[in-house]
Amino acid sequence: MLTADYMDGRSTRVRVVRLEVVGEDLVVTGEDFEVRVPFADVKVDERLGRAARRLRFKDGAFCEVSDLCGLDALLSSKAHRDGWVDRMQRQSQTVLLSIIACALLAVTGYKWGLPWAAAEAAANMPAAISDQLSAQAIHLLDDGKIFLPSGIAKDRQHALSATFHALRLPEGGTSRAELLFRRSPQLGANAFSLPNGTIVVLDDLVTVMDDDRQILATLAHEEGHVHGHHGLQLLLQSSIAATFLALYIGDFSSVLAIAPATLLQARYSRDLEEQADDYAAAVLELNGMSPALLAEALKRLTEAHREAAQAGYLSSHPATDERMRHLRAMGASFGRK
Amino acid sequence: MNNSPEGESRGSNSSTRAPEMVHFTGNGAEYFGIWIVNLLLTIVTLGIYSAWAKVRRLQYFYRHTELAGSSFDFHGKPIKILIGRAIALAMLIAYNYSARIPSLWTLVLVGGIAFAMPWLLRNSFRFRLYNTSWRGVRFHFRGSVARANRVFLLYGFLSIITFYVMAPFMHQRVKAYQHDNSWFGQTQCSFHARAGKFYKIYLILLAAIVVFAFVVGFSGIGSGFIALSQAQKHGGHPNPIAVLKALGVLYGALILMGVSIGPVFHALITNLVWSNTRVGEHRIECNMSPIGLIWITVSNFALVALTLGLFIPWAMVRLAKFRLEAVRLIPAGDLQEFVDAEPDNIGAVGEEAASAFDLDISL
Repeated sequence: MLTADYMDGRSTRVRVVRLEVVGEDLVVTGEDFEVRVPFADVKVDERLGRAARRLRFKDGAFCEVSDLCGLDALLSSKAHRDGWVDRMQRQSQTVLLSIIACALLAVTGYKWGLPWAAAEAAANMPAAISDQLSAQAIHLLDDGKIFLPSGIAKDRQHALSATFHALRLPEGGTSRAELLFRRSPQLGANAFSLPNGTIVVLDDLVTVMDDDRQILATLAHEEGHVHGHHGLQLLLQSSIAATFLALYIGDFSSVLAIAPATLLQARYSRDLEEQADDYAAAVLELNGMSPALLAEALKRLTEAHREAAQAGYLSSHPATDERMRHLRAMGASFGRK
Repeated sequence: MNNSPEGESRGSNSSTRAPEMVHFTGNGAEYFGIWIVNLLLTIVTLGIYSAWAKVRRLQYFYRHTELAGSSFDFHGKPIKILIGRAIALAMLIAYNYSARIPSLWTLVLVGGIAFAMPWLLRNSFRFRLYNTSWRGVRFHFRGSVARANRVFLLYGFLSIITFYVMAPFMHQRVKAYQHDNSWFGQTQCSFHARAGKFYKIYLILLAAIVVFAFVVGFSGIGSGFIALSQAQKHGGHPNPIAVLKALGVLYGALILMGVSIGPVFHALITNLVWSNTRVGEHRIECNMSPIGLIWITVSNFALVALTLGLFIPWAMVRLAKFRLEAVRLIPAGDLQEFVDAEPDNIGAVGEEAASAFDLDISL
């Protein structure tokens, strides 16, 4: 005998009732009333843990059933079949499979899916957007006095631009990247590429290098970032990763969702640095220069940062040593050719 | 009118009845199965299933919440939540895009969103309450848009120009707007906490932050000073490790403050708000322990981080149990006599937009 609480859907009055299946009907019997409804018209709530389940009738009334086993027996006599999601949620095999599938999807998505999607999107980004993003970035850095006007003579700027634009590129043609000269005591010896392909060259970079070919090697590295749309790719990747993490953890805590997104960035940027190094090596070889020049340039940059006690990150970063080793190896094989 | 619930208990108009405790019967392991399967379906459908997952999550928590032997229920339709999410996503993208590239449109858009916010929040309350029921009788929210504008825009503006001196006042008005306009069936709820009580809690919080800031500041500056003086002794640059240590002390203390002040504030405000809310003549009491909430929050954070998120279902169940079981209802009469009101038809745009912009409406 299955008992339940009957609620009429109009008031909070609880009536204790008995539930029975008679033929095609569900019979609800209370102390002072009896309701008989075709079982086909009864909507049975899916199971959620051990919560009481409701049998809902068309007029808004329902029965709240706490005896889940009794309800199962009653339902099985009517060949009621639980939904597939309901069954998945309860069976340990499907739960275990879901954990594995989620983990696999997360790893593959992070390792291949996300970089691929972001790279595709970055390559197809309308020029108007990347122009605006770049103009905005320059504007912010100029306004914030992080960038100051360059102290390098205009003639020297033009000469550097001319030699850079004379370099032949692996994909054919020459670079169309505009060089923008700025001075920045905070950032020291450095160069950046912007989403629209503009390369920002800081004064210290020009002054710390032993010769112009090292500057060219650094610019070729930046051209590699431009060629691969790396700036936009990183931007898109971080937004997409943040969105996914927010979906995953967001229900629990939106604060906790922000932190890992920044951590995930580190590995990506290292991959992109290596891609840009390889591109620069190809450019240098094509123009009859050794890839080892970039290793020398990296060494000069590292030393310059150490002397100025700037950005301890680059100097103490083992990845930089690794990159230099790789470039010197390429330089050695170039020398033998 | 009395502003403390205790002042009401004259016992003349109602026979004294035993308080009804709220029970939460959810279980972490059980909820884990539901959570992971719905997460997988959400990933596989590129997020579309998340609306169904949300309904199932809310139903799990509502249906495991029992009062006087009957559970609550959530009636929201996934498709409405999906539409709400799509609109919220469009708003968020437009907002992010225009925030990155300032133009006249940014102003128009930000202004538009700011002016739409009271309306969205009011719709959000409406959607959430209308889709909540107990014993088959639904809740309703009947607050007007005009009052939403006054509460959120006018008081919001006032609290900003007074450097947040009026923020506790605004908080009190928001809660009054929410709770005075809530109905259970045909029974109206009422809110009785005055702004003074909110000021008291905010002042306690402020005092705690000031004391904390002094302690942290002195210890941080102290260790930074030691690092610098050592560096000068050796005539070089500051030792990066010592500087990092000083920063570590600062950040560690800030995190400690973050994890303890948030829960304490939450517990005090929740207790104040719910202990001063009545459903008709029935009183509610909320007695959440601030220390207990710190413990739950900190241990949940640590375990979620250590398990790469797999602890989330247990964390949510623990928190729900702790918060819900702090609440009890003190009936002034028969709980069988609430009557339902006529149905409304309400979309989920407000709720989803409000959560997209991370506006917490639960406090």
